[in-house]
Amino acid sequence: MHDLLENLMDSAARRAEYADARFVRTRAERLSTRNGALDQLDSDESEGIGVRVRLRGAWGFGAVRGADRYGADEALGRALSVAEAQPAAGGAELAPEPPARGRWESPAERDPFEVPLEDKLAVLIACDAGLRTDPGVRVTLAQFQARRVDRLFASTEGALCEQRTTECGGSIAAVAVNGDESQVRSYPASHGGSVAQAGYEHFVRLELAGAAPRVADEAAQLVRAPACPPGRTTLVLAGEQLGLQIHESVGHALELDRVLGREASYAGTSFVPANGIGSVRLGSEMVSFSADATSAGGLGTYRWDDEGVSGRREPLVHEGVLAGFLSSRETAAEIGLPRSGGCMRADGFARQPIVRMTNVNLEPGAAGSLDDLLADTGAGLLIETNRSWSIDNRRLHFQFEGEAGWEIRDGERARLVRNPSYAGRTASFWAGCDAICSPSEWELTSLLDCGKGEPGQVIRVSHGSAPARFRDVEVGVA
Amino acid sequence: MNAGDVAQRAAARAGRDALALVTRERSLTLRFAHNRPTQATAIDDVTVELAVVRAGHVGRATTNAVDDGSLLACARRAALAAEAAAASGDGAFPGFPVPADAPSDYGHDPETARLDPECGGAALAAAFDAAAGSGLEGHGIWSAGEEERAVATADRVAVDRTTDAFMKVICIAPGSGRSGYAAETAVAAGRIDGGGLAERAAAKAATAGTSVELEPGEYPVVFAPDAVGWLCDLLAGTAFNGLAHAERRGALSGRLGQVVAAPAINLADSPRLRRTLPRAFDADGVAKASLPLIQDGVAQGVVHDVRSAALAGARSTGHALAPGGHPDGPHPTNLVLAGGGAADEQELAARVDRGVYVTRLWYANVVRPKETLVTAVTRDGTFLIEHGMITRPLRDLRLTDSVLGILSRTQALTGEQKLTSDGEFYGRRFAFGVVCPALLASSVRFTGPAS
Repeated sequence: MHDLLENLMDSAARRAEYADARFVRTRAERLSTRNGALDQLDSDESEGIGVRVRLRGAWGFGAVRGADRYGADEALGRALSVAEAQPAAGGAELAPEPPARGRWESPAERDPFEVPLEDKLAVLIACDAGLRTDPGVRVTLAQFQARRVDRLFASTEGALCEQRTTECGGSIAAVAVNGDESQVRSYPASHGGSVAQAGYEHFVRLELAGAAPRVADEAAQLVRAPACPPGRTTLVLAGEQLGLQIHESVGHALELDRVLGREASYAGTSFVPANGIGSVRLGSEMVSFSADATSAGGLGTYRWDDEGVSGRREPLVHEGVLAGFLSSRETAAEIGLPRSGGCMRADGFARQPIVRMTNVNLEPGAAGSLDDLLADTGAGLLIETNRSWSIDNRRLHFQFEGEAGWEIRDGERARLVRNPSYAGRTASFWAGCDAICSPSEWELTSLLDCGKGEPGQVIRVSHGSAPARFRDVEVGVA
Repeated sequence: MNAGDVAQRAAARAGRDALALVTRERSLTLRFAHNRPTQATAIDDVTVELAVVRAGHVGRATTNAVDDGSLLACARRAALAAEAAAASGDGAFPGFPVPADAPSDYGHDPETARLDPECGGAALAAAFDAAAGSGLEGHGIWSAGEEERAVATADRVAVDRTTDAFMKVICIAPGSGRSGYAAETAVAAGRIDGGGLAERAAAKAATAGTSVELEPGEYPVVFAPDAVGWLCDLLAGTAFNGLAHAERRGALSGRLGQVVAAPAINLADSPRLRRTLPRAFDADGVAKASLPLIQDGVAQGVVHDVRSAALAGARSTGHALAPGGHPDGPHPTNLVLAGGGAADEQELAARVDRGVYVTRLWYANVVRPKETLVTAVTRDGTFLIEHGMITRPLRDLRLTDSVLGILSRTQALTGEQKLTSDGEFYGRRFAFGVVCPALLASSVRFTGPAS
């Protein structure tokens, strides 16, 4: 395959200004139980080659399944023909990058694909039994998933690099129904749970079966809990909900293709101006974000992105002020940055790379533990797990709803409330952040279904954060 | 490569109690921004899904390799999965029916199947000219595809070939940032008029006047067909999902036969209607047929795949998204909302003293499925209606309301319907849309600004 891609790039170099090619092989396994019985047992494999070319500034991309030279030539020919058929584009030069060479593999102590199916099923069945301990629970779910992706990248600039990533994780959920009321509780997160760049050991560490009775109990409590009262209050976000808040309002807003208007057709644009580095305030002095492609276990961790640019840690927001963007070689050059941020990622072989998030992390503060933060807060609302999310196409106005909320009273987690929603405006919301827990509370949460691009692409990413406090937030909006 | 041949070979390797679904995609998508092409993606790929049943459990495996060795390996993985599941006790899956041999006869256009990049390039050039002629920047996509689907058991194979084409143009005014939207979905790419779409989008973006902000609250709303299509698809996931219904999580749980919408609402899944994107069978191989869902405002039924039907004690209605059932349940992909008596959107607006005109919705998400409560933002053409006329541009708004509530408050619909789609193709291309008219609702809840 190495020779095939190098030869293909030799051929492409004679016919295009620039070209790159990726061979991608993906293997995935998903197991789930529902109401005590096996619900899904899927095993997926695919492989193919995607070729990207640039002609007169216009990009063309062709993808074919398989791993043979005939198919690779077909993909190159198709990429060239679609690039030629378009009106002239006249895009920017590509920011320089030394050719990527070498091999990298994400760590995995125990290969999740080598663990017998029966063993994984036994864990899920035990989880499901633990979830069915409350008669108010109508639906119980437990799931395991693993994925391995092998990528080989080559370019007309001499790059040739190979990567293997292994991901593993799972989750449980209980749905309680009481008349017209239906409520769900998930652990450790909704939307696919907790998945890390790791082996089977990550799934084991989640201890899903141990958490199941509590999750079922909370679901049953929720259908009878009072609704989150509307008003303005102090909001404490933790875990998945804080990760999603970072993802939607900060991560996407700082994707440079959006900032430059390239994604107006679908994902949208951004309220952040391209010339705002060093001057635009996006939050309080408490708030610093980085884009970190080196976070251990993160789903946005890699040695090279899908343009062959080294993955690394770059500041995005420093003490509340814009410090950088998530960028590609083309977008970085367009605003005069010396180098790409290394954020080009593609969903499999049949999609071309676009600007995506690495692990966008909120740096920890010094507010101690979550209990310390609640004690310091006095009164307010705590939300940890997401149920619903929506934000406008400039990433300015958002509205979220959690699965469960806890009122904070006298500095402690108090009454459970259902339908805890909140809404805000990105910059003023982050300006209201006045406390972030200490490094001991900092953790990565995973997000498995970030959609962007046309045709659509789904990537996985993680966000690191410690619980944070936001003042004067509108809650109970939905 | 012939999908039917691959499906037969795959099914033969899986043996009895198995089903093979093969989907071949050939597609071309051209993106553009600022009146310039930005990305072009040509795909030629296939997905072979093999589902094997053992003791009422389904094991599934997929591959995109079609040689005999790979198909055999895929069949073994599916069988291994099903046997591992069977060891945990008997399951409830009753087995796959004989595949329906009923190809859709007007869902394929040979010219579109050529995927000529010149056709797309010409559509882009026409859109750029029209947008630039109005002093605007055009953004959007042109996409066309051919899907060949084959479903096979050891005894029988059925094949369906379809094409689809989609183009959307968002025109943005460089100074104000105001935007307008127009889109077209069709079986044939020849029906897509890039210049015409850009002119329609430009007309909305170039409307005179300063955008005004509307206070949160409840207002009468005229939804254009693209917005109605979003609402109907959200309703599909929350109300018509047979799995959720059987588990009493669905919005129509305990409400079938009851009034759930205004008398003017007639909604069906009509997969063989000429104006939709026709489909012959679902992922279980069950034949597609028209299914009434709401008639004269009364809830009539929900959709099922083989799995949810077994759970509910019903028959599959042909709405499986994956062989053996998708984890999220079945989904109607050919919704048709019947039109009403209004001549056009202006006639709907004429009945409103002060209200909102919504071109399209975006980032719509379900908040509480059992209430069909959704939230979304308006985008690319939100206007104030004053004294029966669409007058000034509005800043975008956040809508948070129940879809069934909106349909209950529906006062009128246009006679003309449109095939609406968002042109989203995640994973294997699966083009679908909603045929619907514009709609006037007497009251819709807006919970805040969105721009």
